[in-house]
Amino acid sequence: MQPAFTTQRRPYLMAALVFLVLCAVNAILQPTFLRFGVAVSNVAAFLPMVLVAIGQTYVVLASDIDLSAGAIVSLVNVTVVSIIDGMGGSSGSVALGLTAGVTLGLTCGVLNGLCVALLRFQPIVTTFATGIVFAGLALWILPEAGKQVPPAVYQTYAGTLLGVPTVVLILLGAIAISALVARTPFYYALRATGGNMQGAYQTGVPVALIRIGGYTISGLFAALAGLALVGETASGDPLIGGALTLSSVTAVVLGGTALKGCTGGVAGSVLGAFILGLISNVIFFAQLPFEWQGLIQGVIILAALAGGVVMTRGKQA
Amino acid sequence: MRARLLALLGTPLSIAALAIMVLLAVGELLSPGFASQRQIVTLLKVAALLGVVAAGQNLVILGGREGIDLSVGGTISFTAFLAGNIMQQQDALLAQAIVLVLASAFLIGLVSGLGITLLRIPPLVMTLGMLGVVQGGLVLLTRGVPSGRSAPMLTRLVNEPFVLGWPGILFIWALIGVALTLVLRRSTFGFNVYAIGTNEGAAALAGVPVRRTRALLFALSGLFAGVTGILLLGYTEYVFVGAGDQYMLPSIIAVVIGGTSLAGGAGGYVGTMAGAIVLVLLQSILTTLNIPPPGRQIVFGLTLLALMLLYGRQRRLRG
Amino acid sequence: MPILEASGIRKQFGGVVALDGAQFTLDAGEVHALIGSNGCGKSTLCRIIAGSVAADAGRLLIDGHPVSFAGPRQAANAGIGVFYQDLSLIPEMTVAENIYLGREPSGPAGLVDGVALRAAAGAALAQFSEVMGTGVSSDTRVADLSADQSQLVEVLKVLAADPRVVIFDEPTAALDRRQVDAVFGCIRALKARGRAVIFITHRMDEVFEIADRVTVMRNGATVLTSPTSKASRDALVAAMVGELVPVHARTLGHASGEAVAMEGRGLTTAKLDHVSFQLRRGEILGLGGLHGQGQSELLRVLFGALPIRSGTVVVDGRPLLPTGPRAVMRRSVAYISGDRARFGVMAIRPIFENLVISLLARERRWRVARKRLELTVAPFVARLKLKFSSLRSAVSELSGGNQQKVVIGRWLATRPSVLLLDDPTKGIDIQTKDDLYTTMDELCTQGVSIMLHSSDDEELLAVSDRVLVFNGGRVVAELSGDERTRFALYKAAYGAAGAPLPG
Repeated sequence: MQPAFTTQRRPYLMAALVFLVLCAVNAILQPTFLRFGVAVSNVAAFLPMVLVAIGQTYVVLASDIDLSAGAIVSLVNVTVVSIIDGMGGSSGSVALGLTAGVTLGLTCGVLNGLCVALLRFQPIVTTFATGIVFAGLALWILPEAGKQVPPAVYQTYAGTLLGVPTVVLILLGAIAISALVARTPFYYALRATGGNMQGAYQTGVPVALIRIGGYTISGLFAALAGLALVGETASGDPLIGGALTLSSVTAVVLGGTALKGCTGGVAGSVLGAFILGLISNVIFFAQLPFEWQGLIQGVIILAALAGGVVMTRGKQA
Repeated sequence: MRARLLALLGTPLSIAALAIMVLLAVGELLSPGFASQRQIVTLLKVAALLGVVAAGQNLVILGGREGIDLSVGGTISFTAFLAGNIMQQQDALLAQAIVLVLASAFLIGLVSGLGITLLRIPPLVMTLGMLGVVQGGLVLLTRGVPSGRSAPMLTRLVNEPFVLGWPGILFIWALIGVALTLVLRRSTFGFNVYAIGTNEGAAALAGVPVRRTRALLFALSGLFAGVTGILLLGYTEYVFVGAGDQYMLPSIIAVVIGGTSLAGGAGGYVGTMAGAIVLVLLQSILTTLNIPPPGRQIVFGLTLLALMLLYGRQRRLRG
Repeated sequence: MPILEASGIRKQFGGVVALDGAQFTLDAGEVHALIGSNGCGKSTLCRIIAGSVAADAGRLLIDGHPVSFAGPRQAANAGIGVFYQDLSLIPEMTVAENIYLGREPSGPAGLVDGVALRAAAGAALAQFSEVMGTGVSSDTRVADLSADQSQLVEVLKVLAADPRVVIFDEPTAALDRRQVDAVFGCIRALKARGRAVIFITHRMDEVFEIADRVTVMRNGATVLTSPTSKASRDALVAAMVGELVPVHARTLGHASGEAVAMEGRGLTTAKLDHVSFQLRRGEILGLGGLHGQGQSELLRVLFGALPIRSGTVVVDGRPLLPTGPRAVMRRSVAYISGDRARFGVMAIRPIFENLVISLLARERRWRVARKRLELTVAPFVARLKLKFSSLRSAVSELSGGNQQKVVIGRWLATRPSVLLLDDPTKGIDIQTKDDLYTTMDELCTQGVSIMLHSSDDEELLAVSDRVLVFNGGRVVAELSGDERTRFALYKAAYGAAGAPLPG
């Protein structure tokens, strides 16, 4: 009988520990790390990755994967900017742009879900393919980074809302939504689907709908990341989501969520995303020779991935 | 007899062959001179580069268990750079460069293979991690500045006409094609690969060394990426940053077009070779049509999805 | 009116007829046992009632209304609950989450009320508190439970949905006496509330203890339905096995001396309980009993396909550590599974590949010399009378019987001295079976020793020199000579008293 506090019961514990250690190391290497302004700018920098990682978590819990997430980020990013810019930057256009962005993300997610759950395509190559299509659409809409959004947008993003830095508010909001979703019957069904799809089906869980739901949520969070990037860069960039897909998978695995499904959760993925960001920081501030940084980061991440997989392995093969 | 002929026509290889002819015809219509020997040779050279790295991808996908190698792009860049720096434009160092580079490429793949078979890390995750390591290693060696040059012999071998106006790289590719097909169809290793890809449980019970075979597949994928890197160096003569990145996704698509099932255990390299040619032709026609890069990308993605509809569907849950 | 009625149910899987006009009625407030020998169709019938398999023909009535289920969900909505032998639990989720999967108690705003969930699970667990063992709570992960604990949780899961009809397919397989009593307590409570229970078991005692009526199936059809008060064990066993036709042994036993080809001592695994046996040279040792009592496990453990917890294996006088198939096959042992699809053939590959794959592994050659190999396997192909059009065609194009011949041919080519056959003739036509028996006889005269597990009792008894009967992972009887009758087999298999354990 396992005690309540092992990593099997709460997979994010290991990630939390690593996160704290990294914060400590970072604070040592960068004395200003714990200052409020620096912390907020770190959050701002990591926020897109955190959001995509959260979305990816839901798909992975159902034992699927979404390799189009980064492309959805780019697509939403350029679409929103194009709408806002195209309509003259009025507050109406901003509202329309944001709505359109979210809707677009949801649509992409549903498309992914239909291919995988209804048409029964294999998830890895399928979401690769849809990712190529979404990325292509992004390039088509906005071939080169550019366009502008009204100052109100990026100032709000960089500023505070209700006295709290906007980015922190978004982060807390995303975490709060996830905490809420974790208490829904859908979430239980999602984990069951990933844990034992046949058994879940026999129990009457609507497995196909659940999987589509997972992809839809991933699309939604990718859209939110795209919106966040609009706020941060104040313009559009069709390639902006590029590395986010694979980073999100890394963050999810680092956070203790198993690729085979069921085990893990959003808390771990958020920590995993922060860990990835902090590793980057630490390597930078350690002032290691520039040329070694990439390799060391790669090795650390590989080791962490291996550790994450080995740790979340089930009881037997 | 007729039934057999019909069955043969429906295979992915036949469809690919047909697609090649159609694309050539379309290209020639759109832009006379498209199907001239000179043009075709150029296209084939590019297809050869893609085809060699796709050989490695083909192997890991054949092995089943969601085999995939995301690190090939990084390995190509790495080996191109390494080879260029060992050779330093000297023919005398060519052999040495090839041996060292291929050995390191093999090792890179082997590390992935061991992680996958011994630690049972999913191929997606393992090769993803290795990609980061290889790219980091490359930065370490290059210090951000690409350098190195191909030995003249290599450049000539790849680019210049060798026999009948066809450059050496095409013969190398053909040789690889023959060798790999022979290995897959006439060696115990080849039989083992198909066995583990078709039904790993049955293969293990039949006495096939499953883990050893699978680890070797990933090592070979690294090796082929290394060969591609060397050939790429010969092709471009200089080393460019991130030269290999663009090969990863098309290598997977070429394998799928060629009829190798994503579930493993079915398909062969000849189909993949045809798939590589189809892809390069498609790319070229889209360029001729003045379809901008984004449009080309979208067409690629939709093609892949269409292929999934034909070849990539999974089991139902209900009995 | 009966709460459930099935009539004229037909179902075919590929070429095999699983149900042929089966019928079954169930009244409210009754416990109705469903028994029969291997392959009689009882499990298939239940899967049709549960909605996870579609019938080819026949009618299913609930409360007199015809129904047709599109899937398990519809059956559940109609009030049918199923305890699955292969447990439908999600290993990484907790006991509470599993019991109420799809039925979680909700609080405000439709969110799951975690507190109520754990409390409800706790109350459910309380029914089994005395027999569950220590350390099991609502928050325990199912993966951390033992087999018997998991089974009890699955029972709770089925009951939590408050179904009107409950199908229990072997719910007591891993349970001890007290746990069985606890489960029976639940079943009696269901009865008292007017629910109905279909009860499949391999233990005759349980039939008489808990069931009001019993139905016997044979060859996909119903042959007897009777109140348990009016039935006798012998009559039920007789109905299961059909006419008491004297079984002709195919040979008068093989000339087996005292040489022991393979021996197992105290073998224990997840499903085996201290199994010991001796396989003599040139004999055919049968492993009988109801399906899943450990026969297949034993063979797989011997071949290194499953890990051993304790016990030893000796081959030809030398100990063998069965670390894996490759290690075991080097000692001239071969294993052939009856589950061709999962463990036998590489279906989409050519016949030639399937035939030579083990030979290549054994000989440790790297090159496939096609001509030489074709010559090597040719005699075995001929001997087995394998019918095929070309060695290059895929195995999937062959009939089931010929597919199995390919797997057997694959191993015969390696010239084994011990052959482990794990239900090799399942779903195979008569002619092929005959060819196989002939081959087995020939092999035995040449000194090959065979261990045979078969779900076809007639075959098992006809072909084997001795039969070990399995029940619950242990060998409960050994039949030799005149004892080799289906009657004796099923008496031992169903756990009736009187069969001595082998020394």
